[in-house]
Amino acid sequence: MRFLFRALPAASGGELTPRPVVDIALEGLLAAPIECLLDTGALRTRMSADLAPLAGIELDDSLTEEFFVAGVRTTGMLARVNLTVTDGTVEHSWDAPVWFCDPWPHPFGLAGLEGFLQHFLVTVSAYNGYLDVEPQPGGAMAANM
Amino acid sequence: MPTMTVSGHRYRLDRRGVEAALAGELPEPIHEHFVVINGRRWPPKQVLALVTGLDRADFTTHQARRAMTRLGFTAARARSSRAQRARPAAELSSSGSAADNSDVRQPTLVEALRPFIGLWVAVRGDEVLVAAPSPQDVVAWLARHDQRAQAMFRVPESEQAITGAAPQ
Repeated sequence: MRFLFRALPAASGGELTPRPVVDIALEGLLAAPIECLLDTGALRTRMSADLAPLAGIELDDSLTEEFFVAGVRTTGMLARVNLTVTDGTVEHSWDAPVWFCDPWPHPFGLAGLEGFLQHFLVTVSAYNGYLDVEPQPGGAMAANM
Repeated sequence: MPTMTVSGHRYRLDRRGVEAALAGELPEPIHEHFVVINGRRWPPKQVLALVTGLDRADFTTHQARRAMTRLGFTAARARSSRAQRARPAAELSSSGSAADNSDVRQPTLVEALRPFIGLWVAVRGDEVLVAAPSPQDVVAWLARHDQRAQAMFRVPESEQAITGAAPQ
């Protein structure tokens, strides 16, 4: 599956630097995959806690941890969820731990080592502005075509 | 203030009143025709129903479209039944108000997103399906209209909003 880097408008005019993103759908929220920045420096996959109830994910008894992200102190709540990526033709699903964070300073999620990168072979071509994502051979992955 | 008759009822409508009537509402999916109000694309019948309180069965799309163009709003026809992109008002109005802009060029996703900086959006390709203040609103809209997005995110206000040290 190929994901093009996504450019966004800058409030001051022009556009922000296109970034490598993958759109990851939470189980129960397949109609609205969450844009996640590919973050090879992040050990975990994290996103806003506001998204969990939209997918019916309960965080009441979750393991929590506090940490800083982008200079903001936040609390992450852990849930193991089924995730899906698709390019519109091929679809891959896997189970992974995701940390739902409150507050969350970013306008997108972060796809990190645990939860995303450990499940895929990812090739980044920044020069051409895309990344290719293929399931890790031998990994536990369900594919639909 | 123009007076117009719709389905046997007389209404006094002006641009400001129409724009105010749409505050807090989200545009429904565009099937063919749309009008541009407050920088967003709206189905003409949705707009006229909101403004007049009439049932949509009481008037046609063409009546609704004509009512809006009389008020100076841009009206156009989507290029395809899947064309649901919200468009910057400035881009459309620069080519003349109340004109049919069927042949205006399709904007890139960056251009399509520009009016929605700070809002949550659902996109599909270069189309902005919906823009709303919260992800709850976006997801509710997708469910209500049986739409599936490619991605959902908040359009960042600045480069600073999307940079920063990654967490461990």
